[in-house]
Amino acid sequence: MSRWRQVLALLIVLAIFALRIDRRILLLPFLDREPISTALEQRADRLWPEFPRFIAGVRERTQNGDTIALVVPTLNWDKGYSYAYYRASYLLAGREVLPLAMDDGRLELLNFRRAKYIAAFGRFPPSHLTEVWSGEGGTLLRR
Amino acid sequence: MAPALIAILSLIVLGIPAVLAIDRRARGPLLIGASFLYGSGLIFLILLALSIVHIRWTLLSVTIAALIAWCALWFVKSPSTVNRQPSTVHWLDLLTIFTFIGYTLYATLAHLWEWDFWAIWGLKARVFLEHGGIDWRFLESPWNAFSHPDYPLLVPFNYDFVAILNGGWSDRWLGLVMVACAAAVVLIVRSLVAEETTPFVAAIITTVATTLAISRYVGLAEGPLIAFGAAAVLFLRRAILFDDHAAWRHGAVLLGFAANVKNEGIALAVSIVIAIVLVRRKSLWRLWPAVAIAAPWLILRATHVLPTDVVGGSVLSRVIAHLAQTPVIFSLLWHDLVDPWFWVCVIAGIIVAPAVRRRREAFVFLVTGIQLVFYVAAYYATPHDPRWHIVTSWPRLTVQISLPITFVVLVMLADFFPRVEQSAPDAEAGPVE
Repeated sequence: MSRWRQVLALLIVLAIFALRIDRRILLLPFLDREPISTALEQRADRLWPEFPRFIAGVRERTQNGDTIALVVPTLNWDKGYSYAYYRASYLLAGREVLPLAMDDGRLELLNFRRAKYIAAFGRFPPSHLTEVWSGEGGTLLRR
Repeated sequence: MAPALIAILSLIVLGIPAVLAIDRRARGPLLIGASFLYGSGLIFLILLALSIVHIRWTLLSVTIAALIAWCALWFVKSPSTVNRQPSTVHWLDLLTIFTFIGYTLYATLAHLWEWDFWAIWGLKARVFLEHGGIDWRFLESPWNAFSHPDYPLLVPFNYDFVAILNGGWSDRWLGLVMVACAAAVVLIVRSLVAEETTPFVAAIITTVATTLAISRYVGLAEGPLIAFGAAAVLFLRRAILFDDHAAWRHGAVLLGFAANVKNEGIALAVSIVIAIVLVRRKSLWRLWPAVAIAAPWLILRATHVLPTDVVGGSVLSRVIAHLAQTPVIFSLLWHDLVDPWFWVCVIAGIIVAPAVRRRREAFVFLVTGIQLVFYVAAYYATPHDPRWHIVTSWPRLTVQISLPITFVVLVMLADFFPRVEQSAPDAEAGPVE
């Protein structure tokens, strides 16, 4: 076993060790974690911070198995609809959330008719639908 | 926090008889680490079985099923086992402990925040909890294709177990499950490496392994896949190198569970099969537990026609279309590689190591290489824009495969240095009755 190889092996072990040590994780116990915690809590809902509270209101007033079509200020998938649809699916687990827009740009407006409820976040034009609840920046309507 | 901690302790207790049924002499860190992983896998199988026979998940039904499994496992006796060397603690292990303290704080900073948690893993767990079992209507609905209905369900079911103990859904402390997964594989690494080298080197390798086991993607299946996958590969490596029958069983069972964590776990199982065909064909049959454990979900998802996006439609036409993007694909693979200098060091370590050691570690090199080929092939077969697919997944994928190869590189390089401490005699690892 040659000397240079031994030195090289030592350098590689030291380099792997040094490169893997995660200073941020090691220092975390000594940092003020409150700002990091707050930032992470708000991370999912940066776009519309009120949205989870609105969906919580919708959850309180609907039952498992109900179908709910989701209307938000944009039907553009990449500019907010995907967030709202995924987020509402999670927060309304047990209910069936129906999208009005899809990732390929298609609009699925028939879902508006299929749904028992319309959860409209943001302004919703006056309609013949029955208002169930209004608050937290949105309105829950029933067909 | 208490329900998550109780769930983790329950999984360890559930896993103990399973580990001892496979490896009668498992003790200390190996017993605790493997017990958590076995408990996590067993609770997946229990919830899957209850769902198949249409028994609603409740605290009572799950507890009874778990108790039956727990009692039955005490009656299973493995045919042979090995003499295991106890791990000797080294002061450098403090670095591993500090890393875990930091990671525990990180994983529990807030309600789980990752997009893929509430769009995939947490979403399914929450839907199934409401339903009291697998909600096939949800998985089969075209509106829920975004949640990847074909993905295996071990991780969502583990979250459901915590929620069942909690009496309802809460994602506030689920990060502790990620910490437990990382701790489990690190305990296994510590035990396995202690049988091959000195406590000092073992502590260094364990510290490095810890940094590879703790996944930054808290709530996603990366952490559990690293835990199950790395543990499986390292046990199988040990089985091949030392003809350790218990390690064959551990490796095969953990590989089966890895295949129930993510589709990459299924790919890992295929990679391992190919690698074993190349290095130890006669022992291939020993992987039958992996097939048996992976089969139920694969059959269920086939019978329910749950689509897998990468292999759906015309794969060949997509591959041909993406071939023109090869320079872009490879440039992105390099650009989005996490810690490129770390990988440079790993490759340098392989080159510097003696040829005889490289041949000895062929199994892990083959598994890692084949798995990488699968990952890159997926970018050619993807129905999405390959650039988007690489940017959103490659950093996670490279971390998934890094632990076993780093382990063997460090073990190989450790041979360059004189053993000033008494090393554990690994020659005693032959099977005994």
